[in-house]
Amino acid sequence: MKKTTLFILAFIFIILCYFTFTSAVSVFESDWELPKPIKERESQYRLVLITQDIDTPFWNQVGKAAQEEAEKFGVSLEVWGNYGNHHEDFLKNLEIAIQSKVDGIIVQGLDSEEFKELTRVKASFYGIPIITIANDVPIEESLRRTYVGSNQYEAGQLIAKQLIADMGEKGDVVLMYNQDVEYYQEQRLTGIEDIFYLYPEIKMHHAKTSYAREDVVGATQNILNMVPETDAFIAVNANIVGAMVREIGKRYQTEPFYIYSFDDGPESIPLLEKGLLDGLVKQSPEQMGKESVAAMLKWLNGETVPLHADGYLTEIHIVKADGEK
Amino acid sequence: MSKIQKKIWTVSAILLVIMSAIWIVLTYYNNKTLNQYNGILERYLSMNEVTTASQRVINALNDYMLNPSLDNFEEIEMSKRFVQQAKNDVHQLRNIDNDFTLTNYIHLVDSFIESTDRFILFYSENELEASTKEFAEATSISNHISDMTLTLIEKELKTYDKFYIGMINQSSELKELGIWIILLIAFILLIASYLFSRSITKPVLELTKAANELSKGRFDRQVKVDTNDEIAFLAKTFDHMRKNINKLFIETKHKARLEHELQQNQILLQESQFRSLQNQINPHFLFNTLNTISKKAYLEGAQETSDLLVHIAGILRYNLKQMDRSVTLKEEVDVLKQYVEIQKARLTDRLDFEIGIDESCLKQLIPPLTLQPLIENAIIHAIEPREDGGKIWVRIYNGMNQVTIEIEDDGVGMDPKKIEQVLQEQYEPTEGHSTGIGFSNVVKRLRLFYGVEDTVRIESVLGSYTKVVLNLPKLRGKEHDTGLNRG
Repeated sequence: MKKTTLFILAFIFIILCYFTFTSAVSVFESDWELPKPIKERESQYRLVLITQDIDTPFWNQVGKAAQEEAEKFGVSLEVWGNYGNHHEDFLKNLEIAIQSKVDGIIVQGLDSEEFKELTRVKASFYGIPIITIANDVPIEESLRRTYVGSNQYEAGQLIAKQLIADMGEKGDVVLMYNQDVEYYQEQRLTGIEDIFYLYPEIKMHHAKTSYAREDVVGATQNILNMVPETDAFIAVNANIVGAMVREIGKRYQTEPFYIYSFDDGPESIPLLEKGLLDGLVKQSPEQMGKESVAAMLKWLNGETVPLHADGYLTEIHIVKADGEK
Repeated sequence: MSKIQKKIWTVSAILLVIMSAIWIVLTYYNNKTLNQYNGILERYLSMNEVTTASQRVINALNDYMLNPSLDNFEEIEMSKRFVQQAKNDVHQLRNIDNDFTLTNYIHLVDSFIESTDRFILFYSENELEASTKEFAEATSISNHISDMTLTLIEKELKTYDKFYIGMINQSSELKELGIWIILLIAFILLIASYLFSRSITKPVLELTKAANELSKGRFDRQVKVDTNDEIAFLAKTFDHMRKNINKLFIETKHKARLEHELQQNQILLQESQFRSLQNQINPHFLFNTLNTISKKAYLEGAQETSDLLVHIAGILRYNLKQMDRSVTLKEEVDVLKQYVEIQKARLTDRLDFEIGIDESCLKQLIPPLTLQPLIENAIIHAIEPREDGGKIWVRIYNGMNQVTIEIEDDGVGMDPKKIEQVLQEQYEPTEGHSTGIGFSNVVKRLRLFYGVEDTVRIESVLGSYTKVVLNLPKLRGKEHDTGLNRG
């Protein structure tokens, strides 16, 4: 009896000790470290990559490549962006970057007065170099240091040539693009038109729209009503391609149309993978990201002054739905 | 300090120390957590301070534009200093996570201040358009500052999210630890207080048990308590008391026995006194008559008869003496001789009596009527039954510490059972004795008188002899007045 009691008491004691000890250990060992404060100002370049669209496959690749390149050279780089092509936010980001006196800005070009004002006047005032990426704005208007990205004129030509190769030298082609004047869009358009002018039997129909989804739907319906016999669609601005394809899919089987676009829209690549697009111009986002950072560093370090005014052009090629190039 | 008090003090002190240690640790951790919370909050506050300060500058600029007084100008300067101060504060907050944004932020503040300076410059030079533009610029930067503050705080929240979770976890773990510690301490306390109280009550219980035993009259069980506090001391004292009581008790018992014996002695004495009183009138009369007859016999020429009568009178007189006083051996022997003369007259030559006395021991004190009953006994049992008579020897020696008296006869002897009975003082055949005093009475009186048990020894062989040996411890008195005649 006495032995049993003693045993039970000892057992309880050991259990209590064990739990107290483990509890104490977990209390005293829980480590949550605060981020280390930096005492010394580490002098390294601060670069900002500003895009109009974030979280799209195209821009993610650009951003990632740029980050890697920046890390390689030991400079800090942040990717800023906004959702859904919101110009006001984009311009605000640019303004903040300028007023924050970053060492260099790599920016997706926007062909608007405000943009040009910021790059030409404000950035120059603060002495901040600007490189455009993917979409260019003419150097005369933006005073950009250089451009890194595809040759949009060639891209237009490429897509037009591919269409002719697929469709033949005769037919109706709808060209759909944003109603706002954008330099890169214009260049693509010029490229396409320059090819199509060579084939008189190809008829071009222009359809302009805004970025708003209902506008795109409306414009698509409109053009389909006006030109029901059309053979092909080219979405010159990749941002509208999603809504456009969906609207066409509502009316027809997409099969009878040749639908082409570019890869820098948020929905371009998924649509191609589903086979809803017949082909698109694939640019090289990684190359852009990498080269833009490299070019900016060359400028900042004074290795190449001035930078190539025409820009550093990156590769483009056609990708077709079945994977052919 | 007494030991029990010391025990209590020790237990309390240990408890106090443990409690304070726990309290200190918990307080320390609580404080630490609070400080960390405070630190984080201060970061937010100092970030927010920049926004507030920049807005104040804008307000001041606006006031100055509307009313370019010196006061308003000073207000601009002062609010600018606030902005600078806030900027410096924020500068301290840089860490790996927010380095980029915070650097931008600081530069933004710099731009803001530069823009403000330009505004003042343009304004003082009356370039209205330029100053208005700078004001717009400053306002836009101020807005950007507040936007960026929000971004920064958001970033801080993200950075410290893990930290918060860790802190919350820790506080919940601390709570858990508290519960476990309370349980552990409660357990230890219960056990300790049980042991402690037992260490006090167990000896008390033992003591109570011992007291109970004692009250029941059992004095022989030792009181033993194996602790080293006051209770043990109490137990030791108690045990001492028990021993004393025991000793007293034994002594009292002994005394009571002695008293009892004394009382018995008294009763015996009274008995014999009563008898002698009973016989007093007769003996006195008889004594006087005997004396008269003796004289008459003498006058009539019966010499022998006269002598016999004198002897009888002598014995009678001796018999009539107070029985409670001692006599000397000499007196006793004299009476014995007279008695033997009488018996000789009765038994003529059947009785052969021989006496040997060491004269040096005649002063030995002895109870009266000791030898006479023994001789009478010998005559009754050894001489009278035999037709041809017998012999009786009486020898008195002086020993080292004692006087030995031997009374021997050559009669039929005694069987051992009878000897045993006599020595046990149980055999009392009083009939036939002239004095009414038997053997057992003698034995009893001798033992009482000398206070020694082995005064009487009987040797006997059936049909051969009987020998009574009295070993009397030496007890000398003054010469007794043998001539006192109280009859």
